[in-house]
Amino acid sequence: MLEVKISRLELSSPIILASGFLGISSSSMKRIINAGAGAVTSKSIGPKPRKGYKNPSIFEILPGTFINSVGLANPGIDEFINELNEMKIHNIPIIVSLFGETIDSYRKVALKAENAGACAVELNISCPHAEVSSIGINPDLTYSLVKKIKKALSIPIFVKLNPNVTSITEIAQAAERGGADAVVAINTLAAMVIDINTKRPILSHGSGGLSGKSIHPIAIKKVYDLYKVLKIPIIGCGGVSSYKDAIEFFLAGATAIQIGTALYQGIELITQINEDLNNYLKRMGYESITELTGVSHNFKLQEVPDF
Amino acid sequence: MIDSSIKTVEIKNIKEECKNIKTFTFNSERFEMKSNLQKPKPGQFVMIWVPGVDEVPMSISGVDDGNWKITVKNVGECTNKLHELEVGDYIGIKGPYGNYFSFPDNTSAKIILVAGGFGTAPLKFLAKEMLKNKYNFTLIQGARNQEDILFLEDLEQFDQNYSEMVFCTDDGSFGYEGFSTQQLEKIITKISIKEMKTTYVYTCGPEKMMYRVFEICEQFDIPLQASLERMMRCGCGLCGLCAIDPLGLLVCKDGPVFDSNQLRAMDDFGKFKRDFTGKKIPID
Ligand SMILES: Cc1cc2nc3c(=O)[nH]c(=O)nc-3n(C[C@H](O)[C@H](O)[C@H](O)COP(=O)(O)OP(=O)(O)OC[C@H]3O[C@@H](n4cnc5c(N)ncnc54)[C@H](O)[C@@H]3O)c2cc1C
Ligand SMILES: Cc1cc2nc3c(=O)[nH]c(=O)nc-3n(C[C@H](O)[C@H](O)[C@H](O)COP(=O)(O)O)c2cc1C
Ligand code: FES
Repeated sequence: MLEVKISRLELSSPIILASGFLGISSSSMKRIINAGAGAVTSKSIGPKPRKGYKNPSIFEILPGTFINSVGLANPGIDEFINELNEMKIHNIPIIVSLFGETIDSYRKVALKAENAGACAVELNISCPHAEVSSIGINPDLTYSLVKKIKKALSIPIFVKLNPNVTSITEIAQAAERGGADAVVAINTLAAMVIDINTKRPILSHGSGGLSGKSIHPIAIKKVYDLYKVLKIPIIGCGGVSSYKDAIEFFLAGATAIQIGTALYQGIELITQINEDLNNYLKRMGYESITELTGVSHNFKLQEVPDF
Repeated sequence: MIDSSIKTVEIKNIKEECKNIKTFTFNSERFEMKSNLQKPKPGQFVMIWVPGVDEVPMSISGVDDGNWKITVKNVGECTNKLHELEVGDYIGIKGPYGNYFSFPDNTSAKIILVAGGFGTAPLKFLAKEMLKNKYNFTLIQGARNQEDILFLEDLEQFDQNYSEMVFCTDDGSFGYEGFSTQQLEKIITKISIKEMKTTYVYTCGPEKMMYRVFEICEQFDIPLQASLERMMRCGCGLCGLCAIDPLGLLVCKDGPVFDSNQLRAMDDFGKFKRDFTGKKIPID
């Protein structure tokens, strides 16, 4: 019931681990798969090791809503290949999220990931608090990047979209034209928190990105808008903490979903959501979750306000 | 539900424990916790934000009423800056996090605590709770020399009917000369076979020391609880930096306290940790 297909990728569950969560070691990603995820996405991996921003870099600001500014901390692709090799042995479907300093360095990291057994790559063009965000706000650069990577790889290419742009649909269409096999919407929303006692921003970098519960309705709106203009599949991401949030993404137009922040409640949440999704489908009389994709678009909505 | 917000509080008291170690007290009563404030238990830790510097994990070394204590060794940038702070300065608190030491069912069990360096902090807290609950225990504290012995005043006030203190120093300047693990072996070999069945060991300190404690406990088939340390970014089970291979146990969420079964299953224990980039490096 829960099987989904994104491009050539067949997953046993529509729940994918979002990038940046427990995605450093093969051992913790294996736990996520054992809990029932269809695939995992690695922490965004770059060409070189990077410590990222100092702490505080992750904390909660409203129940279930977090702010973070990790600054793309990662061990570098050459080191991460050890984890990929380990995952290959255990047959773990891993999507490697990656970034580079230039289009060519993106390509090099992507090739290494493909050779080490990644089942897809996810291009991080969207981190709101790192320099690579410049690609994700420019449709021409996005097009060139995706096109170049598409030419170099044979595995599917996902593009993770930055919501902090004037028109997310324009960027997504550029990615589609460049040959993207799917888009992931959304990354975190630019945000900031200031402590009233010390009077300074709390994150070491000052600004960061919002994730979790309160970004869910924003992510739904983005997926809804994207579904209207894209032909390629959309992976919904942002604030999923129950099966209801996941179903909502499908109804808005998603083919699969990613989960991140809500895992602070524990990895077992994935098992629970799978079970609840199954029950929902049975209750509603569906045979497959794929039947739900885009269903909310079937309704006629009021376009002009009444006088 | 655990509250992962950062709350800034004034430091209420600072005590110099020894040359390089200070205990800081702050009041948690004004934290606007969502849930009923969970009182930290021995073994749990908090993330301490030193404004403008860094945020690092610190074990709770004591709790009385709303006052929580942390005992900090000055080892680098953040702890150095923390040592420079004064009463009335603000620090940020996130947590309490992690699991905690569990007590044997029977208060007549034989209990040995093996502490090294600032690892003595959570074990002193544990010892206090054990006393409250009428458990008997021996606390072995190892240090480099006399100046590095921790909480001496506090420990001397413990009820001696229930507690025994064993000290050892590398240079023999206080207590026995040698390692705490040698004292542990000495005590264990004197235990009768019958008593061995109800013996429990708890440890916190340098990982090489804890590994040796683990080997000794395995040899005598004694259950162990060890509090491990790993590089932490989030402290709340999200970032994955503190994962231990091959089971992917998270020190911040599944730990920091692990039992013999879990320790046995760890390839990394005593051998590998991760740096802040996530790269695996050997433990020195
Ligand atoms: C669960 C737990 C409980 C701890 N309890 C205590 C305690 O009660 N008292 C105490 O003095 N120390 C404790 N520590 C260790 C303490 O966190 C480090 O000494 C501190 O982070 C050093 O920071 P620094 O900037 O001063 O030093 P740095 O120069 O930055 O680092 C020195 C060493 O400290 C460790 N370290 C640095 N940053 C971190 C981090 N973010 N997470 C984990 N380790 C880090 C590393 O081993 C590093 O090599 C605990 C650590 C953990 C994981
Ligand atoms: C601590 C943290 C680290 C993250 N790291 C990355 C990253 O490396 N690459 C990336 O594309 N997204 C990263 N994200 C964004 C998430 O993948 C996701 O898009 C966002 O958190 C929304 O989903 P959620 O509400 O389920 O967490 C990170 C988010 C958080 C909170
Ligand atoms: S420190 Fe982030 S998961 Fe443990």
